[in-house]
Amino acid sequence: MPVSSQRIAADVGGTFTDLAVFDESGARLRLGKTLTTPAEPVHGIAQGTERAQGRFDQAAYFLHGSTVAINLLLERKGARTALVTTSGFRDVYEIGRINRPDAYNLFFRKHRPLIERALRFEVDERCGAQGEVVIPLEVATLEPIALQMEREGIEAVAILFLHSYRNPAHELAAKQFFSARLPGVFVTASHELSQEYREFERTSTVAANAYVGAGVSRYIEGIDRHLTAAGFPGRFLIVQSTGGLFASNRARSECVRMLESGPAAGVIGTRALCEAIGLDRAIAFDMGGTTAKAGIVIDGRVQTANTVMVGGYAEGLPVQVPMIDIQEVGTGGGSIARLNAGGGIRVGPHSAGAQPGPVCYGAGGLEPTVTDANLILGRLDASRFLGGEMPLDAAAARAAMADKIATPLGLSIEQAAEGIVRIATAAMAHVVKRVTTERGLDARDFTMVAYGGAGPLHAVLVARELAVARVIIPAAPGHFSAIGMLMSDLRRDAVRTVFVRLGTTAATSPFDLFDQVFAEMEAEGRAELALADVDIEYGADMRYVGQEHAVEVTLPVALFRERDLAAIKARFDQAHLQRYGYASQAERAEVVSLRCAISARMSKPLFEHIEAGAERPAAQAFRGERPVWFSPGGYVLTPAYQREALLADNRIDGPALIEEHASTTVLPPGSRLTVDNLGNLLIDVVAA
Amino acid sequence: MNTSRENQRGSGASAGMTPLGDQVRERQTHGNAPRDSQHPGGAAQAQVDPITTEIIRNALVAATEEMKTNLMRTAYNMIIYEALDFTVGLLDAKGNTVSIGLGLPMFIRGMSDTVKAKLRHFLGPDAVESGHSAAVSDTAVRDAAGQASFEGLQPGDVLLTNDAYLTGSHLNHMTFSVPIFWQDELVGFSSCMAHWQDVGGTAGGMTTDIYSEGLQMPIVKFYRGGRLNDDLQRIIGMNVRIPERALGDLRAQIAAVKTGERRYLELFEKYGRDAVMGSIASIMDQSEHNARAALRTIPNGIYEAQSFMDDDGVEPGRRVPLGVKVIIEDERMTVDLSGLSEQVRGFYNSGETAGRACAQVAFKCLVAPTDLPINDGCFRALDIVLPMGTVVSAVKPAPMRFWMTYPMTIVDTIFKAMSAAIPERVIAAHHADLVVTKISGRHYDGSLYLYTGGLIGGGWGAKASEDGQSATIAINDGDTHNSPTEQLEAKFPLRVEAYRLRDDSGGGGRFRGGLGVEQVVKVLNELVFNSQIERVECPPWGLFGGLSGAGNQVAIQRADEDPVVFPSGKVLSRHLREGDRYVLRSGGGGGCHSPLERPLAQVEDDVRQGYVSRAMARRTYGVVFDRDGRALIEPSAKLRELMRRARLPLDVPLSGLPRNEFSVASPVEDFPQAAGADPEALALLKEAEAAGLYIPRCCS
Repeated sequence: MPVSSQRIAADVGGTFTDLAVFDESGARLRLGKTLTTPAEPVHGIAQGTERAQGRFDQAAYFLHGSTVAINLLLERKGARTALVTTSGFRDVYEIGRINRPDAYNLFFRKHRPLIERALRFEVDERCGAQGEVVIPLEVATLEPIALQMEREGIEAVAILFLHSYRNPAHELAAKQFFSARLPGVFVTASHELSQEYREFERTSTVAANAYVGAGVSRYIEGIDRHLTAAGFPGRFLIVQSTGGLFASNRARSECVRMLESGPAAGVIGTRALCEAIGLDRAIAFDMGGTTAKAGIVIDGRVQTANTVMVGGYAEGLPVQVPMIDIQEVGTGGGSIARLNAGGGIRVGPHSAGAQPGPVCYGAGGLEPTVTDANLILGRLDASRFLGGEMPLDAAAARAAMADKIATPLGLSIEQAAEGIVRIATAAMAHVVKRVTTERGLDARDFTMVAYGGAGPLHAVLVARELAVARVIIPAAPGHFSAIGMLMSDLRRDAVRTVFVRLGTTAATSPFDLFDQVFAEMEAEGRAELALADVDIEYGADMRYVGQEHAVEVTLPVALFRERDLAAIKARFDQAHLQRYGYASQAERAEVVSLRCAISARMSKPLFEHIEAGAERPAAQAFRGERPVWFSPGGYVLTPAYQREALLADNRIDGPALIEEHASTTVLPPGSRLTVDNLGNLLIDVVAA
Repeated sequence: MNTSRENQRGSGASAGMTPLGDQVRERQTHGNAPRDSQHPGGAAQAQVDPITTEIIRNALVAATEEMKTNLMRTAYNMIIYEALDFTVGLLDAKGNTVSIGLGLPMFIRGMSDTVKAKLRHFLGPDAVESGHSAAVSDTAVRDAAGQASFEGLQPGDVLLTNDAYLTGSHLNHMTFSVPIFWQDELVGFSSCMAHWQDVGGTAGGMTTDIYSEGLQMPIVKFYRGGRLNDDLQRIIGMNVRIPERALGDLRAQIAAVKTGERRYLELFEKYGRDAVMGSIASIMDQSEHNARAALRTIPNGIYEAQSFMDDDGVEPGRRVPLGVKVIIEDERMTVDLSGLSEQVRGFYNSGETAGRACAQVAFKCLVAPTDLPINDGCFRALDIVLPMGTVVSAVKPAPMRFWMTYPMTIVDTIFKAMSAAIPERVIAAHHADLVVTKISGRHYDGSLYLYTGGLIGGGWGAKASEDGQSATIAINDGDTHNSPTEQLEAKFPLRVEAYRLRDDSGGGGRFRGGLGVEQVVKVLNELVFNSQIERVECPPWGLFGGLSGAGNQVAIQRADEDPVVFPSGKVLSRHLREGDRYVLRSGGGGGCHSPLERPLAQVEDDVRQGYVSRAMARRTYGVVFDRDGRALIEPSAKLRELMRRARLPLDVPLSGLPRNEFSVASPVEDFPQAAGADPEALALLKEAEAAGLYIPRCCS
């Protein structure tokens, strides 16, 4: 009988499926990359697993992140869904928040609900803001709705009643009714996903969950079948948008918790790397084909956010569940550069995507992109892209650059290409500022960990823009999210809205309520994780009385045990000061929501050590020289190295290129690199 | 000119104060790029490469976005944090807009004109370009001989004013600005206008002059060289009803302008003075060229349109006419607002700056809707004709509390005028009102509260190629949010019984107008209700044969009685008890093209969704249905043909209420003299006023 000692992690993205396999018996981390197979994603997973020498029959865990849920939303390919809601409020989902961010555009469009109005049903029931029942729910009134749902061929039902975050009884009763009455139909209620106020956001959340539920379930079942057939004896866990893991059967009912699993795993990988090499502050910088993303890790903690707008701010659908705070900009390798009527140049947000892709892919792309610019500048090697599997057409890239950008602007082709990279770099620096400067943090205090296919290509430039001194390119930056999954813990997040003003007298002590709410959240979390040994984190969303927007404050559990109101207020003042530049010690504060995160630590693979070498890289690492264009001097003969052949303690001064299968690290003049004993490239962006 | 220069030297002589006026002038004589590029066709002088320009352009947009986020998240009043009734911006040393955050569109001009007024006040009349703009009050300090003297500006100054005739809007718009210095040179301003919930003034009813509307703060230095002017702070504190709220918003505003200053200076540190100044000039030139390119596609001609407001709140039912004329001549647009009504007695006036903003908002929407940052380069190809004394160029002491109402309709009227020229780019009329209420009520424990209700969104007009959007904020505002029902029920003894789309409210058309919204609120404890809603009787119009949408509406329903719909939306100080309800309805957008041309499948879907009732589908769209809700092809075609011949459906552009369908309040009840008609309301108001909780306001 084989020993179940493998852990297999699979990150299924839009283009690639990345596998990371770790053998607990001490063997090395092995990686695999295959093209995603959208029709049957499990094929890509199986193939990738094979390439990484993984064996499901020998695995104790299968850890999985996937874009399946978010793609169903973005592509509008979900189930035929109905909404059941409080009488008078079926249009809340369509009305939304009434804002018009694109304020001067007469052709603006609002968000488009996933559920048409005719399938939004109202029920005579009502709870008040304190959770009190104003109009009791008569379950019998649901029967005509069920009949109509049958006639309409409804596949999924979302339930939202007002104030269910305070009293979920009516939602529970309705869920029970529809689950029993409509077998085979996916039924979901808002309080299971969010117990925070804001009915539009909760409606949108539960509607999205219902809409993708059937598809996600089928997807997970498909993988389950494959695992069973392969003799998998272990646990199948899914990565949530918080970076924590949850059981695959839980993921089937709370699908929206896995919307951003891939990006979240990258931040978790960054956190693990911080732990391994003793970093207390890191920026996780992830650049791919269409977007660049940034998150931060401080003292081993990731920062969380409450809501994501799926499909962008102006027209997006909000999903209100906890997730890692990741900011994103539409700048990636495929971002297109264009001139406008006024003669200005813009890079993105239009993207050539994977189809047709950049001009140099030779697949029909006609407008120059960031990738074309990098090829023109010599930073990418036309013959070694993706390990040589995909030769690039440099002449076509140059022609497009000349035609569309350089000639009209009176620049040389290289100047235009370099300019595009600089504009992209500045835009990516802004996205990093959104998670640092705008949070009251100084980017210069951080080290940047860069990954994703295009991250290492631009990382040093972005770091220089931000005056960040040091960049780390982890081993296998193209597989970093899959590796991050191996570093993740089981986790359950709960948030409960409680509007409580913090008084100063004992008579108005809010702690009885706090204790009760925390106890409930903890009990649920423990039951779900089914493990005794857990870490518990408390937090609260707080604001000054009179403000609307709340700041999330991390609060040690002890402060609640000791009922230390003053310390809680002081922590809030501090958080407000850091984020907004001022605090009002004299003013009263109030709690809007309580947060509780429970995680059960899983044993994790260690980052593996590599062999040590001399200061000078070994000869077999050297892959020759080629001219690479750097500002301001122009072409410089630049050596290229093969990353796999670098050894610990190797040092390389810029200009240089470090090439690996799915990525190239650019070391501009003046920067300097050292390889550490884990195979990370540590780069001082400005040589001393 | 020489005289004023001497004066600046004389007055700016105190230690540590550089003679800034000279520097401003010096830069002008040295031929600074932004100035030269003012002239149409003039190329940018500063040779900044397009790449750096683009990087700086992105940085300016990001800086004003950050200022916006900062203010929104730290403000104390809902009008700032939800309604986003504020504008933040970076301006050049002459007060021209370099980048303003996407806040309150209708304040697109107000920030710049206010900063220019501050420049004139502190540096003299030559500190801004002559012949440009508005806001001409002479604020200069004069000595005994009548000579003007100018204090100058220095680092650490924070300038403030809420002069309604400078900002063009009401006194609630406190505008803070800091002059930004780079190596002793004035290089720009960071500025922030935000709406304070209360600035004092009379508590209820209609105002008929500015003095009754609250504290008027002339142009002052709230900080002088980094030192707080405590006298001013105390004057403000004494004149507002809830000083801690006002000062909380004040702190948030100063934090926002300081953020803008920091980000602006970071650009100078990073790229150098010449690169930043040159880039700003190029950005403005690019915007100008973009706008001119769009103007070239509009046929030359003179285009006119007219519309009406219901009344001025003082003389019920007397329409207020709004005539606009647009002249397109090659690459220029002239918006002539001479045909607007003269200023009115009620508080619906605004200042000249608001009139110019109407023209600029319409211009931007038509020629450069997505060009960022919003900057004054864009408007170089726009001329505005605006005589003083109209409803949007009112002169002192015209009352201005509801400054924002009329401009929304004026902008729509400009679109209407342009519909003959560029039918594919305009939009039919929208509900054009914020549909807000002012509520003073009592919590269960007896304490009093204040709540700006409504702000429910409404219908927008159809375009020549697509349906209108439903339930969206009016054009005065942009990224304004409504309040979640769950939140407002947690805060106040109110129960929202419905928040829904208003069926049949969208104007009929081949492309249908968007739907308005209805909010029904049950009162759980006594309150006083006020609303100042317009365009009830003059509903949003359609274009190209499309029909008008439904007008805005307000109704009150006493417990167990039928709702009473007010023929005017102006409801002054009604006392509501437990069990009473108020109902707000926003209008629908106008339609485009004849409704008889709307494809059957779309009408069928409208009926399936309930956006259009079967009755309206028949009456307006000429579509008949079978029992299962399927549109019948033959009978519908016949009906449509008959309707065409009979020139149906009829549009009712100035409909008023279908009075036979509703019970209607008597005119006397509609316009009680101030709050006098309702003694209970008056009593509660008095108590609220004494508690400092009655705010005579209104809008976002």
